[in-house]
Amino acid sequence: MTLIIGGSGSGKSAYAEDYVVSLSEKKKKYYIATMQIYDDEGEKKMERHRMLRSGKGFFTIEQPVDIKKAVEKMENGEKTALLECVSNLTANEMFSEEVPVTEEVITEKIVGGIVSLNEQLSHLVIVSNNIFEDGKEYDETTMAYIRAMGRINQKLAELADEVVEVVVGIPLVVKSGRV
Amino acid sequence: MKLIIGGCTQGKLDYVLQKYDMDASKIWDGEIPKNIGEQKEPMVINHLHNWIKSQIAQGGCPEKEIRTIVEHYPDCVIISDEVGNGIVPTETFEREYRERTGRILVELAKKAEEVERVICGIGQKIK
Repeated sequence: MTLIIGGSGSGKSAYAEDYVVSLSEKKKKYYIATMQIYDDEGEKKMERHRMLRSGKGFFTIEQPVDIKKAVEKMENGEKTALLECVSNLTANEMFSEEVPVTEEVITEKIVGGIVSLNEQLSHLVIVSNNIFEDGKEYDETTMAYIRAMGRINQKLAELADEVVEVVVGIPLVVKSGRV
Repeated sequence: MKLIIGGCTQGKLDYVLQKYDMDASKIWDGEIPKNIGEQKEPMVINHLHNWIKSQIAQGGCPEKEIRTIVEHYPDCVIISDEVGNGIVPTETFEREYRERTGRILVELAKKAEEVERVICGIGQKIK
């Protein structure tokens, strides 16, 4: 398992895609999309990502919640997957109910789901977002989301063989291991 | 071209001035030369993110303009804050600013012969 983290416009997606391609060889490659589309901007974003991926041979699975169920939509045999991204998945899970789910519950659900997904794959590459460095104070709901994301990233980093931060398109290895 | 990035108030400009032994008169702060030729190299563009923001606010195309600058000033030093490492803003303009700044920096990093990330006044060469 590999965790790739970066900020908005950092080039993390393009890097993650090439990373998956390079380690997949002839295995089937899945792209697990978590973004829910509400408006034109979301539509454009999704379209941009689709263009980026085109020609790289990914099969797309839409899985905005219940991440472990993504495997039910995959074929048998050796396969790799790119999960993009943890920040959308967490927001979807956290705010889909009327009362926001607590950070403890959400952390367990997301990390548990990812671990179970990873067990079914030759390799899972996860994209997550660095949302932690704007130094702002937000309302309690947003702070709970930030804390949940912090916990989830730490847990995933602990479980991952390799962790890479992408900065201005440049990969910086923060945890190196055998992939 | 050299690209220097990092969080705000990390001493990026001082780092550059010291490392390249430059004097402060050659610094463009939050702006770029309007006419190619009005500035000779060596040249430093500081706070590139502020210039990008003002360009977007005016409906300009900072992507194209900075490309021209880099072509004409192959030895310039460009300094910018990293602005994408936070909660995605609810305001459309702020979101666009962060996203476009990020993409411009990715493009500049590709062209740069050297990229350094400065934290606490210390530069780490990442390319």
